[in-house]
Amino acid sequence: MGQITIFYILAFLATACSLLVISSKNPVTSAIYLVCDLFILAGIYASLQAEFVAAIQIIVYTGAVVVLFVFVIMLLNLAPNEQSSLGLKLPDIGFTLLTVLSFLIVTVLLVNEQSSVSGGALGPPEAIAQLGGNTRAVGMTLFTKFVWPFELASFLILAAIIGAVHIAKKDPKPADKAYGNLKASNREKAIYGSP
Amino acid sequence: MGLNTPALAYDAFLVQLLSSLALFAIIAVLCLQIPPIMVWVERRGPAMMQRRKGPNRVGLFQWRFYGLLQSLADAIKLIWKEEVVPTGANKPFYHIAPIFAVFPAFMIACAIPWGADITVFGHQIPLSVIHLDVGFLFIFAISSLAVYAVTLAGWASNNKYALLGSLRASAQMISYEIPLGLSLIPIVLIFGTLDLNQIVLAQGAFPWQWGIIKAPVSFIIFLVCMFAETNRAPFDLAEGESEIIAGFHTEFTSTKFAAFFLAEYVSMFVLSCLAATVFFGGWQAPFVPHDFLVKTFAGFEWVASLIGAGVLFLKAAFFMWLYVWVRWTLPRFRYDQLMGLGWKFMIPLGLANIFVTTLVCAFIYFK
Amino acid sequence: MNPYIPVLIVMIFGITIGGALSGLAYLLGPKKYDKVKFEPYECGVPIVSQRDKMSVKFYLTAILFILFDIETIFLYLWATSFRDLGWFGLVEIVIFLVILLAGYIYIIKRRALEWD
Repeated sequence: MGQITIFYILAFLATACSLLVISSKNPVTSAIYLVCDLFILAGIYASLQAEFVAAIQIIVYTGAVVVLFVFVIMLLNLAPNEQSSLGLKLPDIGFTLLTVLSFLIVTVLLVNEQSSVSGGALGPPEAIAQLGGNTRAVGMTLFTKFVWPFELASFLILAAIIGAVHIAKKDPKPADKAYGNLKASNREKAIYGSP
Repeated sequence: MGLNTPALAYDAFLVQLLSSLALFAIIAVLCLQIPPIMVWVERRGPAMMQRRKGPNRVGLFQWRFYGLLQSLADAIKLIWKEEVVPTGANKPFYHIAPIFAVFPAFMIACAIPWGADITVFGHQIPLSVIHLDVGFLFIFAISSLAVYAVTLAGWASNNKYALLGSLRASAQMISYEIPLGLSLIPIVLIFGTLDLNQIVLAQGAFPWQWGIIKAPVSFIIFLVCMFAETNRAPFDLAEGESEIIAGFHTEFTSTKFAAFFLAEYVSMFVLSCLAATVFFGGWQAPFVPHDFLVKTFAGFEWVASLIGAGVLFLKAAFFMWLYVWVRWTLPRFRYDQLMGLGWKFMIPLGLANIFVTTLVCAFIYFK
Repeated sequence: MNPYIPVLIVMIFGITIGGALSGLAYLLGPKKYDKVKFEPYECGVPIVSQRDKMSVKFYLTAILFILFDIETIFLYLWATSFRDLGWFGLVEIVIFLVILLAGYIYIIKRRALEWD
């Protein structure tokens, strides 16, 4: 079984999962299909000998981002019995398919053109093996060729941290602030009065 | 190796395929035996600590086996219990949640190296089913999927205690994944590889060469995260039976309950193996170098590998006992204490540990 | 042999074992319907729907987890190529961590991780 065959099988599964993500009525079902979808995408990366990217795909996307989605769904109180009206109708699916396909075709054309000119950033497989495996090759490239994007990524994460904390944590009212500064043992007294 | 001819290549493929199947079968059978034995240990152990008797009645004719058959009896009873799916539960997710629990546990169990490579019919076979270029990042990747079992189980049960338990457990699991990740970075810095088998080889047979001596703070962080990741005492808030009954698996009965039980014990075992592999020399027998064993059993090198597997099992067994020991020694944490410990103490400690290790490594390696 | 064949084998068998455990519960054991038995286990507390709001802290924890997870991944990447990169890589990662440390201090100062 050639690499192309594996790619087509995985790509078919991934597309099917993606369609199920957008067509499920229940948001948690969508989230679980998204998990499957991202897992299969990791499989595609692995089949392209990009093991490190595959591992990150699972660690960051399946293991963290979709967990956040699931939490948000729970936060919005969509009980299992109540099905929200997020389901799509057949024309919508057709339209989405059309959009996705045309986007894919354009991307493939663009990527093909680029990769035929420059090759991958890491170079051919032999060069990767010489560097001591895929992870080390990615590391060496990231920390030498792509230093600035890497450092800028830290600013991106910083901005995300500040944004998340700012949105989730309203400035406490003065009374709450005083309460928050109390030691745990004194908090009960603050609520119930001293015995 | 002379694998140029197609016939030989096919031969090698077949040998490797069959050996990895056989190895998986052994590991799967071993993992399925862990819950019954650990249940017995978790009853007899505290009984010993508290001067009680513990289970000692179930036996075969006149032999009692120290009550070991109690677990077997429990298992048989559990299988024949009625499945009670609560009204209003989300049926599909209720049924697939146990799969989400068992599947990652078995997958990471297969990534642990159990000994030096062995030679079968002239082909080198590594003693771990899964060995990838990304090394133990694979274990992190797959174990991060275990969160879904907890979340789905709690959410699909339509029970508020289950939902509370699952939210607590999943928040706890993801919070402690960060210090767990940070604690192993000094190991990568020191041994310069992500491959578990190479980390074992780099450690050698003598205790002063092991990871625990080279990165003691890492070991402490890893140990705490081990308990938190598996939701075990003193971090078993997910179960907190005095507050939320049994947490996310409250509504699961029969073999579905057994599946969660199995997943918990298998992931405990895998983390124990990982701790032994990374910090205690893995399959290397203490004070007995592997080369010496290979020389002793010249012609039967597989015996040396088998001894390695036994040694790793004993080291992991110590950590399994530690789980029980700690459970019956320490009281349960409060939830804010748990999250505070993870975010405000473990993460800064992990970063400081990396910083110090980096400086030391830099002065050793950059000359 | 392709290293992913064992992964596939383990995946298939892992799902099979999980599915078997999940399915056995349905196949074996008695099936007697009883309305009260199939109610959610509530220990005498009246059944409330799951519409109670969940604390926003879980959500914040999940977001912060993503961000610190990415940081950990970068650290792994750097740690594997640490010896080849030398002092240059060390300086890079220190700058990276100092910027993130500012974010961490902000989290602590805003008491975003207080569970009270």
